[in-house]
Amino acid sequence: MSGVSLQRLVKAYGAVQVVHGIDLEVQEKEFVVLVGPSGCGKSTTLRMIAGLEEISDGDLTIDGRLVNRVAPKDRDVAMVFQNYALYPHLDVAENIAFGLRIRKESKDVIASSVQEVGEILGLTPYLERRPADLSGGQRQRVAMGRAIVRRPKVFLFDEPLSNLDAKLRTQMRAEIKRLHKRLGVTSIYVTHDQVEAMTLADRIVVMHDGRIEQVGTPMELFLNPVNTFVAGFLGSPPMNMVKARIGSGDTGPVAEFDGNKLPLAQLPSLQNAVGKDVILGIRPEFVTVSRTKDDGAIPVDVDLIETLGSEALIHGSLQKEPFVIRTETVGQMDVLDGISGFKIKPDLIRVFDAETGSALPDQVTVQ
Amino acid sequence: MTNDPNFTGPKTEQLVFDAAEAQRKRHPSKVGRVIDHLKREWQLYAMLLPTIIWLLVFLYKPMYGLQIAFKDYSIFRGVAGSAWIGLEHFENLFNNDQFLRALKNTIIMSAYGLLFGFPVPIFLALMFNEVLNQTFKKSAQTIVYLPHFISSVIIAGIVITSFSPSAGIVNTMLGWFGIDAIYFLTKPEWFRPIFIGTGIWQEAGFQSIVYLAAIAGVSPTLYESAVVDGASRWQMMWKITIPSIMATIIIMLIIRIGNILEISFEMIILLYQPATYETADVVNTFIYRQGLQGGQYDFAAAAGLFNAVVAFILVMTANTISKRYSRTSLW
Repeated sequence: MSGVSLQRLVKAYGAVQVVHGIDLEVQEKEFVVLVGPSGCGKSTTLRMIAGLEEISDGDLTIDGRLVNRVAPKDRDVAMVFQNYALYPHLDVAENIAFGLRIRKESKDVIASSVQEVGEILGLTPYLERRPADLSGGQRQRVAMGRAIVRRPKVFLFDEPLSNLDAKLRTQMRAEIKRLHKRLGVTSIYVTHDQVEAMTLADRIVVMHDGRIEQVGTPMELFLNPVNTFVAGFLGSPPMNMVKARIGSGDTGPVAEFDGNKLPLAQLPSLQNAVGKDVILGIRPEFVTVSRTKDDGAIPVDVDLIETLGSEALIHGSLQKEPFVIRTETVGQMDVLDGISGFKIKPDLIRVFDAETGSALPDQVTVQ
Repeated sequence: MTNDPNFTGPKTEQLVFDAAEAQRKRHPSKVGRVIDHLKREWQLYAMLLPTIIWLLVFLYKPMYGLQIAFKDYSIFRGVAGSAWIGLEHFENLFNNDQFLRALKNTIIMSAYGLLFGFPVPIFLALMFNEVLNQTFKKSAQTIVYLPHFISSVIIAGIVITSFSPSAGIVNTMLGWFGIDAIYFLTKPEWFRPIFIGTGIWQEAGFQSIVYLAAIAGVSPTLYESAVVDGASRWQMMWKITIPSIMATIIIMLIIRIGNILEISFEMIILLYQPATYETADVVNTFIYRQGLQGGQYDFAAAAGLFNAVVAFILVMTANTISKRYSRTSLW
């Protein structure tokens, strides 16, 4: 069972604590992505797992073994770095073989392992080239080759795609996903790019200020964020936030703002919260556009329409705050210009406590 | 342009001229581009000017005087007025036992200097890089840099005092073991070790700065990656640090080879004496004695020119070899 377990893991530099006792269980063969803004502690956490940072407090176990005081080389992990960390004086084959040479593997084992990794990653034609003679994507593949050649129990990725251009990043993302499926090695991946997190992860860990905000599958986090931070961090464009007060309507609870009444789900937590200040989380994808104001639509002052091909982003403002709607363009091009508001199903509105930012309890879990 | 007698616009010739002017402004000639460049970047060239003047005055203008190596030079007739005598001075040079001895000593001392003196700064830099205690590191660096800033005369004084047969610390320590005092600075066999050792003591620390700077440029993630791979500090030094600074080592080696015949001759003059000429006299001290003390400027110029040509050949050879085998070169 080559899982990784973090229990109350703390990192402090002197009096300054940067990781505040996080708990996380990474299952065997799972691909977990740590995501969060710069300075949230995700890379520090990864480096603690790798053994490159000392653990200030808490326990770290890999494959059931406590490794707090175990040297990095004995943790059986391999790490892919943001800047690839390739040795410029060694060619591709020597770079891939470096870890095996250090461990004094036999020449035959090294040669066959390098050949095998070269074939897996499509690097065979470049084995004799030096890193300076490779493209960014090829260097990234060599970096991954260095990691997989040792057949470690855990792969650690520290923002490995952030130095690549957008097109190559998409391509390499798919390659990492395929590689994980093929090798089935437990992987922990750090990124600040929520698209990478959404596309790669079995589970996403959203971090903020050295704490874990939420752990779940990409869709769980996208559909049911536990607080406004997660709601705003995942999704592109991010979730719209609308300040409102819960009122009582004819058919159940409603959100009241700017003279509008937006029906909410029939939930006890909302029915009992009449008069409470809340923040409505409305995904740009979940609304339907409306051209008329008299059919119960919420009006939006539209000021820009960005057409992206199959879909369009309609930028406007609500409560003098930006409000974005994502809609399909096919068959709707003629109505885009006339959009004046939106409608949304009550079940698709996420309601957060305006004071704490946390989602109100017992809301419908959107599937 | 037009047949209208009342037309008051520009004439055809003027229009052609204007078009050419516009064309010239759009696509200036090579000279025009240089002038534009100079106008745009004149501040950089102004900063370069003192160096160019220094080079011209102190390195290029003296080349004019090199011709006296092929002349029977007389200070009364001047450089231009002296008679040409071909390679006579060079023939005399190679028939001169003192010159041949000086040449042999130069090569031996340079080889020793290269062999023992060149690796020491690299070794020091690698050791400093491994020191984790910052206070100790800074103190040690200051101590080894210090001799560089001391005048050669004072260094020579320290060496002479240290090796003094009566009160020198070296002979005092030998005395503790019952060894009789040795007159180190009058014995030819001791001159080379003392000279090479002094040079290393004086310059190795300061020369290590170049390598420390190169080491500072090595990406820390290379070491982190190696740590995860299981490399020890010793392996990281051999497999990462040294290969990463190899380009700097090669450049410094080429420069050193270029200066191989430029033995620190003021230190030799300060330390040597007729009793140690046998092993201490080098080409530069030979030139100094022949040229400045003996007044044989033409003969000394021939020796100096020989020195320069050999240095040029050495640096070219080293650069070519380095370029071919290590992809690193001065040019």
